[in-house]
Amino acid sequence: MVKADFLERVRRYSFLITLAATLYLAYGVIAEKIVIVVGDGYRGVYNSAWIGALMALSCSTFLSLCGFYVVKNSVERDSTTRVGRILAATPMSKVLYTVAKSLSNLAVLGSMVLVLMAAAVAMQWLRPESRPISLGELWSPSLLISLPAMFVAGSLALLFETLPVLRGGVGNVIYFFVWAFGIAGGAETGWDPTGISILTLSMRRALERMNLGDGKSTNFSFEVGGMRASKTFVWHGIDWTPHMLAVQFIWVAIGLGIAVLASVFFHRFDPARERIPENKAKEKGNAAVEDPAVAVELGLPKPTYTKLTPLSGGGHSRLPRLVAGEFTLMTKGLRWWWYAVAAGLLVMEFVSPKTEVWQGALLAAWIWPVLVWSQMGCRESRHATESLIFSGERVVYRQLAALWTAGVMVALATGAGAGIRLLLSSNWQMLASWLAGALFIPGLALALGVWSGSSKLFEAIYTVWWYVGPLHHIPGLDFVGGTRASSSPALYLSLAAGLLFAACLGRRRQVAYA
Amino acid sequence: MSVSLLADLAGGSLQLTIDGVSKRYGRNTLALQDFSLELGSGVLGLLGPNGAGKTTLMSILATITKPTSGTIRWNGTDLAADPNAIRSVLGYLPQDFGVYPNLNAVEFLEYLAAVKGLDGTTARRRIDELLNLVNLTDVRKRPLGGYSGGMRQRIGIAQALLNDPRLLIVDEPTAGLDPEERVRFRNLLSDLSGDRIVILSTHIVSDVEATATDIALISQGTLVAHSAPEDLLHAVEGRVWEWVVSSADLHAVRQQYLISHTTRRGDGVHVRLLASQPPAGAGPVAPTLEDAYLFCLSQHRATVAA
Repeated sequence: MVKADFLERVRRYSFLITLAATLYLAYGVIAEKIVIVVGDGYRGVYNSAWIGALMALSCSTFLSLCGFYVVKNSVERDSTTRVGRILAATPMSKVLYTVAKSLSNLAVLGSMVLVLMAAAVAMQWLRPESRPISLGELWSPSLLISLPAMFVAGSLALLFETLPVLRGGVGNVIYFFVWAFGIAGGAETGWDPTGISILTLSMRRALERMNLGDGKSTNFSFEVGGMRASKTFVWHGIDWTPHMLAVQFIWVAIGLGIAVLASVFFHRFDPARERIPENKAKEKGNAAVEDPAVAVELGLPKPTYTKLTPLSGGGHSRLPRLVAGEFTLMTKGLRWWWYAVAAGLLVMEFVSPKTEVWQGALLAAWIWPVLVWSQMGCRESRHATESLIFSGERVVYRQLAALWTAGVMVALATGAGAGIRLLLSSNWQMLASWLAGALFIPGLALALGVWSGSSKLFEAIYTVWWYVGPLHHIPGLDFVGGTRASSSPALYLSLAAGLLFAACLGRRRQVAYA
Repeated sequence: MSVSLLADLAGGSLQLTIDGVSKRYGRNTLALQDFSLELGSGVLGLLGPNGAGKTTLMSILATITKPTSGTIRWNGTDLAADPNAIRSVLGYLPQDFGVYPNLNAVEFLEYLAAVKGLDGTTARRRIDELLNLVNLTDVRKRPLGGYSGGMRQRIGIAQALLNDPRLLIVDEPTAGLDPEERVRFRNLLSDLSGDRIVILSTHIVSDVEATATDIALISQGTLVAHSAPEDLLHAVEGRVWEWVVSSADLHAVRQQYLISHTTRRGDGVHVRLLASQPPAGAGPVAPTLEDAYLFCLSQHRATVAA
């Protein structure tokens, strides 16, 4: 099962994209964009141990985040391909299924670790700082730190898939925060599956042994031409003790435990437990009796044929009706509490006297509909309605425009409190930022949805972007424009236009005749 | 090569020309090979075994995928130059399609009506009528996620008829329908066929038998035959026999003859077989379309093998 699942995945286009992203990560390490700076501006000499540590850290931090989203579809795929129903009718146990899926997730993520391990050899060969290549030092961090981390991430992906609440976009958003707090908290306590603490502790001790400082401010960062270490020291790698190995083994056991735990919640492709909300499942149960075809057999009156109303001439410029249709599609199925929270945030945006509070409410209001926006551009492929929609007349760009407009309507509606406030206070710069943000977010959702065919990419990227940019007011990344310094409306207006164009290109690629 | 076997393009106003169309997937799979056909008003039953290329042809005609070579013209307009010429008159029921589970039937059809550019008032009236036609009025407000497979298929039929299509393409439309709904659908197709072209793709011969005014047989991506049902039946006349054999002999008979049907009865197994010369003891029977279908396919396979 592991082999079949692995082969099915690696033969997909999305695997190649992920592999390309992994290679970019390897490039990031080689090009010194990913650096570890220990203590007062020290970095290790690029020997096998240091390069191995860099690769392992890149794997266990970035891949434990991105990889989660890559593999969080193994049960869903069996469900959508209907293969699951065949498997469910076999003697296969639930535990066997979830453990096999977890190992398959590990195989996919592990293949990416292997790519980085190969890149590690290339890196040391390209860098003349320390020629003798020690494969043990180069690869042991990846094998002993990254692989357990990948196993935990893969098992968590499986667990999230089996838990009804975390199966969809909510789980995608929640995992980011689990990951972020896990890394931060783990580095403090020493209990982290990413292995950051093991590596940084070893580096700090090496620095201290050489009397080069206490190394407390050890940083691991992804830099775009920023931080550079000014001094070097020689680090010979981790001195693996039985205790350290045992800790890594415990992480493997935890991964296995999570996979077994997932079997408790695994629905075994029972249609009554798959994705369908409770009220609909109840209706589905009654479907056979309510089916009018059966009603006829029960002696109920049979409907009579009617003559169809002839069409009153074609109309191809009915964009407003299409926008209304897309808006209905987006918002249909949202529960009352979704609207209650959105309304609460809207009121807070408008009435709160404190800047931090109303701005915070706007930020919350623009992460709240993330699952609404994330359906944009990929709803057709997700629900297999492409052939119904794309065979319509002059529909391709019209539908895309309607979709984007509906997405903008969601942004404007949820952020209206802040927008009116800015308008009334004549704060034109921030109003422009607010408007640019409202245009940009659906543009990003649409482009990523069309190109990836999945909601996950937007959910992951938008959540990270929202966390890094608007929440921390990082200039250039703050699409909401919370402060004058971080606001850049022109940039986000241009980005919105560019993303719309990218979405059009993507859609053009999907349909035979645009 | 263009094959035109319809003697009269009824009304003269509708004409679909498929000329030398081929479709290649990857390097090795040729789904359609120099396929040509000319159609006028009526129901064309497109018959063929699984993997014959029917769905590929349907997808090309519905502008979902492009042919690798060849042209398709709707009333003289090349589809490649103006795909909207065909889309504006097209109703398409794909073999596999999905629905939005949170929408009910009315909302889903209203959305697709907007996609197809119908005005609101007409769309609403037509949706009511179509839901009545496909027998879903009682469940019109129920989310589609709660529909059974057959009910979903009927929603597919309704959406295909939303824009009063001149060209109606239905791919395996009766899959999942119960016998009563199947009969309803067949009648509907017959009623619709007067002033439009209907292309019905299926491997269920009885569906074609009931509705088609014209039949095209397709196998391995090529057109095997295109004619009226009567002509197909005529071609196999005098070649269909019924023979009563013992159960023990059945295996040997299967090896020797092309068998279209067997029935076990008290006096033995009644075997319906196709052959130029009857075996001793066999009597002639009137051919059915299924006999004709099997005969044409076996002839084609023999020709290809030779």
